[in-house]
Amino acid sequence: MTRLLLGELRKLRTTRLWLWMLIGACAVTAIFLSFLIPLDGAEGNPNPPLSTVEGQRALFSSAGAANVFVLILGIIAVTGEFRHQTVTPTFLATPHRGRVVISKLVTYLLVGAVYGIVVMALALAIAAVWFSAKGIDLAGEALPGAIGAIVLSMAVYAVLGVGVGALVRNQIAAVVGALVYLNVVEAFLGVLPGVKDVYPYLPGGANAALIDTGQPGVQDLALLEPWQGGLLLVGYGVVFSVVGSWLAVRRDIT
Amino acid sequence: MCPRPPMWEEMVVGTDPGLIEIAGLKKTFGTVRAVDDLSFTVPSGTVTGFLGPNGAGKTTTLRCLLGLVTPTSGTATIGGVPYARLPHPSATVGAMLEAASFHPGRSGRDHLRVYCTINGFPDSRADEVLGLVGLTGPGKDRVAGYSMGMRQRLGLAAALLGDPRVLILDEPANGLDPEGIAWLRGFLRKMADEGRTVLVSSHVLSEVEQTVDNVVIISRGSLVRQGTIAELADSHGTAVLVRGPEMPRLAAALPEHVTATESAGGLRIVGSSTDEIGHVAFTERIELSELAAERSDLEDIFLALTVDGGQR
Repeated sequence: MTRLLLGELRKLRTTRLWLWMLIGACAVTAIFLSFLIPLDGAEGNPNPPLSTVEGQRALFSSAGAANVFVLILGIIAVTGEFRHQTVTPTFLATPHRGRVVISKLVTYLLVGAVYGIVVMALALAIAAVWFSAKGIDLAGEALPGAIGAIVLSMAVYAVLGVGVGALVRNQIAAVVGALVYLNVVEAFLGVLPGVKDVYPYLPGGANAALIDTGQPGVQDLALLEPWQGGLLLVGYGVVFSVVGSWLAVRRDIT
Repeated sequence: MCPRPPMWEEMVVGTDPGLIEIAGLKKTFGTVRAVDDLSFTVPSGTVTGFLGPNGAGKTTTLRCLLGLVTPTSGTATIGGVPYARLPHPSATVGAMLEAASFHPGRSGRDHLRVYCTINGFPDSRADEVLGLVGLTGPGKDRVAGYSMGMRQRLGLAAALLGDPRVLILDEPANGLDPEGIAWLRGFLRKMADEGRTVLVSSHVLSEVEQTVDNVVIISRGSLVRQGTIAELADSHGTAVLVRGPEMPRLAAALPEHVTATESAGGLRIVGSSTDEIGHVAFTERIELSELAAERSDLEDIFLALTVDGGQR
């Protein structure tokens, strides 16, 4: 299994996708923070002021938007094998297809966490520069929770991506479908009367609970506790992967 | 001539760890019968051509053999074991299925190294097989810039990674230039002479005719013929071509069991031999300007065998 994990890492390292996704994640983080910090205290800004612990938590949570990049990375980890037909040599090397999916799940859990650490390091660096310019102190007690939540969220989103990819083998369908679902469908479900009670249990709602932020317009919803959201999100990733790999074992590779 | 390969009959099932055995294989996709009750064997130390027109079921058969496609019924085994249950599949069987199974953004060398890692081979093995197929230089470039022939060579390199005793190659000559095809022939010969099993599919008999010891011909998913190239040529019947100024006399003097038809200023005689015709001409004092056995064009035989869906 170690060889499979190292093999997956090598697949990731030997194309440029990881770099583009890392640049994307860092860019989104930098843009969000660079917009939010100057808006601190501005009229109509609903976020708590940055001088408070809540304000800083909300600020760092905004970096959670970068998780779409690890979601895409996880999706392409599986769909790319079908798109470029490398699934043939992959399954020839490892005829036990379930092991291939498991090795991808574990690899991308770690890769997602590493992306999360990089993104949060960047967020801290940007915040440190802005805060010193504005004369705000970093609130030590806000940081571990916020950082841990983002790192966990990124790790789980990468796993979720692998699950979605195993389920929907078409790359474009999987990527577009996942993005539309998370950004459009769930946002809509979150405000729909009758359905919105379900929202906290959907992947986006679970993630919102984990990183302790609401979807725009649905802040009034009662989300799960962060740890519940995290567990639920892991559960989604595992269920998608199990169903996906269960199907993969039965599908003919032609 | 190359050393004579073992006869089919000499190979005993179960004692040859490189024996490929397809038994009663059937595969239907929806309503399409891709492979229909196909059975044949391929022994070690031979190059076997797996022939049939496009769509005959060659690729489906090979994918069943490699555990990528689940047969509807029947078995496909290597040394008596299904591929997925081999203890070390990549070190036992090397397969090359389609030329495009590479990520265009990854270098050929890195592609091979990924599978070195997964299979536990040292990284140096990637460079060794690149050298074997003549890709040492371009190995470091991204596959996106490779020609069709280079991709075929890389596919072959990937198949060789585990130094396998069984090589399964699907249309390896596709996209190769004449020089590449000549190289491939020599390479496959060498592999078989080392005692490996080589199964190579093609839809063009002439591509493999000079390389293969045996042929397995299928059409519409069913076996049409299995045997050596020589048996294939003999099975089709031979004819004798004669020319000379006294053809009507010769036709009259021929024994009753042969049939002669006029052909290009001479006679085409079926059911006889050059020995017999020469003897007739000598005893009857008939002048001949040409006496020759008609060379059976294997490609014509192949077409005749496959074009009517394998109905003999």
